[in-house]
Amino acid sequence: MTQTRQPAPQWRPEIVVWLVLLALFALTLAAAYAPFGKVGLMVNLAIASIQAMLVAGFFMGLRHAAALVRLVAFASLFWLAVMFALTMADIVTRS
Amino acid sequence: MAHTPAPRQEWALAEQFDDLSQQRDAVVLGVWIFLVTEVLFFGALFLAYALYRYRFPEAFQIAGARTVVAYGAANMVILLTSGFTIAMAAKEADARRRERAGQFMLATAALAVLFLAVKALEYWEDIREGLVPGAGFPLSPPETQIFFSLYWVMTAVHALHVAIGVGLIAVLYFLNRQGKLKIGDTAIVEGAALYWGLVDIIWIFLFPILYLGGRHG
Repeated sequence: MTQTRQPAPQWRPEIVVWLVLLALFALTLAAAYAPFGKVGLMVNLAIASIQAMLVAGFFMGLRHAAALVRLVAFASLFWLAVMFALTMADIVTRS
Repeated sequence: MAHTPAPRQEWALAEQFDDLSQQRDAVVLGVWIFLVTEVLFFGALFLAYALYRYRFPEAFQIAGARTVVAYGAANMVILLTSGFTIAMAAKEADARRRERAGQFMLATAALAVLFLAVKALEYWEDIREGLVPGAGFPLSPPETQIFFSLYWVMTAVHALHVAIGVGLIAVLYFLNRQGKLKIGDTAIVEGAALYWGLVDIIWIFLFPILYLGGRHG
């Protein structure tokens, strides 16, 4: 039994993504110590969201995935948003 | 009619699928559906954090300053790198480059074990400082214990997922070494990469809320 071997996969896209992730990590660390005040955590979470999208897109293959797979992935965000919105709406409007 | 065994390549094709690409699509879709349940599972913990941070901002600020950024940062770098290695392992496995795939799997498992070692060190230090909710908790106001309850539960559950990942990758590593990952089976490595990606993403969000929240001026 012989299995045809494809040529070596490209390292470069993944390496670049990894370096960008590390750069964003350095950025969020720096931002944490900057005098942002209350907004600071939002800045960190925004950077985290970008990192998450890079991991999902490139390391988890969403960039090339079928529409159905992307829909399922997006569904997680949708339901998370519903859970957060309804719960926080309750908490924030309590006296 | 005499039963003739199917050629070795077809052993990897389960009978409910028409062809290998359909089987692979099913593996990917199935794992993603599982990951959605994991997002909801961890999402509830993140919601609890958001809720209590909203209620007790000063307590969370005080408590957040007591986590050690160095441990969290080291673990962040470890996990980001392991995300790279497991993604490459899946690519190499699909390209039928068995040895490379094995090396990347080993690297991922090693990084994951390193993560757990750093976590253990951190926990030991936290316990020594008494940062465990309950009697004798060193910080005030008492709501700082809520932050640390969330810290212990969220990081412990995440660490459990890391440990499970180590086991999963170890199994795949040995299957790969024994040459048992046939064409069609390598989708499992992609599945492991998806699971690991989520473990990575969860830490990407855990890190700022547990380690960076209390640093702002």
